[in-house]
Amino acid sequence: MLFIKRGSLFQLLESLAGDYRIFVPSRKGDSIAFTAFGDPEEDYVIGDVRTFEPLKAFFFLGREKVAVDFSPENPRNDNPPCIVGVKSCDLKGLKILDFVFIDDEYGDPTYMKAREGGLIISADCTAVAETCFCTALGVNPWPEAEYDINLSPADEGFVVEVGSDKGQKIIDDHKALFQEATEDQVHTRDHNRTSIKRHVEKNAQNKNIPQLERLSRIVKKNSESDVWSEEAAACVECGACNVICPTCHCFLLYDQKCDGNLARYRIWDSCMVKDFARVAGGENPRNRLWMRLRNRFEKKFDYFPAVANEIACTGCGRCIAACPGKIDIRQVLEKLNASR
Amino acid sequence: MSKMINPYRSIEAEVLKVTTETPTIKTFLFKPKEKLTFKPGQFMELSVPGLGEAPFTPSSDSEIKETMEITIVKVGKVTDEIHKLKPGDTVGLRGPLGKGYPMTRFIGQEVFVVGGGVGLAPIRTLMYDLFHMRDKLSKLVYRGGCRNPEEMIFRKELEEWMKRDDIDMILTVDEGDDTWNGPVGLVTTIMDGIDLNYSRVKAIVCGPPIMMKFATFKLQELGVKDRNIYLSMEKNMSCGFGKCGHCRIGPYYCCKDGPVFTYDTIREFPGIWD
Repeated sequence: MLFIKRGSLFQLLESLAGDYRIFVPSRKGDSIAFTAFGDPEEDYVIGDVRTFEPLKAFFFLGREKVAVDFSPENPRNDNPPCIVGVKSCDLKGLKILDFVFIDDEYGDPTYMKAREGGLIISADCTAVAETCFCTALGVNPWPEAEYDINLSPADEGFVVEVGSDKGQKIIDDHKALFQEATEDQVHTRDHNRTSIKRHVEKNAQNKNIPQLERLSRIVKKNSESDVWSEEAAACVECGACNVICPTCHCFLLYDQKCDGNLARYRIWDSCMVKDFARVAGGENPRNRLWMRLRNRFEKKFDYFPAVANEIACTGCGRCIAACPGKIDIRQVLEKLNASR
Repeated sequence: MSKMINPYRSIEAEVLKVTTETPTIKTFLFKPKEKLTFKPGQFMELSVPGLGEAPFTPSSDSEIKETMEITIVKVGKVTDEIHKLKPGDTVGLRGPLGKGYPMTRFIGQEVFVVGGGVGLAPIRTLMYDLFHMRDKLSKLVYRGGCRNPEEMIFRKELEEWMKRDDIDMILTVDEGDDTWNGPVGLVTTIMDGIDLNYSRVKAIVCGPPIMMKFATFKLQELGVKDRNIYLSMEKNMSCGFGKCGHCRIGPYYCCKDGPVFTYDTIREFPGIWD
């Protein structure tokens, strides 16, 4: 097991800066947000809780040019992203996005390029937000897959785990920056993992979140439940739950003229907005707000389990924190579970 | 991860001809600058460069490889722009998308086509294919309807088809005029009394949602099996290949898994007729 001192980690990132666009979480007021790496004054936070914004924003941009004129070229050709301090919940989100965007025939070229070239240096959680409930979704608050290198904060540095050949190569290329981890450091990591997990489990228990195996069934079974309209009553259709969600992937294509060229943009869309499913002729299969709330839950708890064998909720709790109507996904699930 | 193709990119095409079918419906003949073929039931994303893109089903014979016709009702922002197109103008075509009709399943079968309104446009493509394979079908029946004779697109061609002896075909309008000698009433009123083995017939329905709904119920009443009712579904489709999320029907995307679905696969899901 390897260990890297905090200072050495920043040296490593400086060395990678020529090949990658590097983003590291840093403290911004009450929350933590990904920040472009390089400012020595920045208060970088590797560990702690999830960032304010979801990881998806680096691989599937909110607004992105995907075609110019009639050219088959992918208009994007900047360096791939290297994201540091990525949390386990966001890595589960990435699995869903991979399922959607990576495929042979219709794969999204920009997404696939960023995934193929990108580097993920993840980190264990060392704190818990009130909204965290990842354990209820079967996710542990430390990365177990989908990373290249993982960092577990301990002793003014990090215990290092390697998750891919790409990660191994980077470590091999920078051997001098790493040292062997001591037993104490590994013990600190393990102790932290156990205590954080217990803390998140307690959070989830306090909110009566139904058991993982029941989630798909209670959403499917309650398709006509009054819970949807009760809960949708507070929704203002702002779409914050969609943009902040690490698995929400819906988009629309938007054409415009740009610098004398024709440009096609892929822009995040929100299924909570009234016109989302409306066709040009005027018909709308999800005309009512409660139907759109139900659709959001069906997509995460019924559609993805059916097609990808994976629930598309990561327990990150961002939608709870973002909702101005205080709609709480944990409470919706609890009410659905109680409704017969 | 494999070769990178750009599924968002359109192929350049030239407008060769514009035919005004009705005050709100035009048929456009396009010549793509690259090879572009399609099967009946598949759709294209058509764009007016820089102004927007929308999904349409071609209305021409899929065996004609050099050009493609699309018949379009003016209903919104993109179709307004499309209706302004003139011969010589440039458009973008992306596709073909979707699965289309499983034509081989119709071999040896009685085929009953029910079309309505502008649904006659995609059905024209299907009819060409059914005529091409007519000797392999045991029967071909067509029941078509639309609001009034003025809105009946391809009327001359439809009347030519009616003269053929290899098809049992009747057209109806909701409201007649002095050019109309045929029946008056909804398409569901001319679906009875046909010499068909309803328990085995393959029924194909394409038209406005309300017409598809009642035609489906009528077919069920006649004894047609849900698994033999082929519906061409219309949902909001942006990407056309199952990524953008708009057109979900239960575990399916209308664009990628359809837009043709048999009724048994989608009947349980909410909002299919809306």
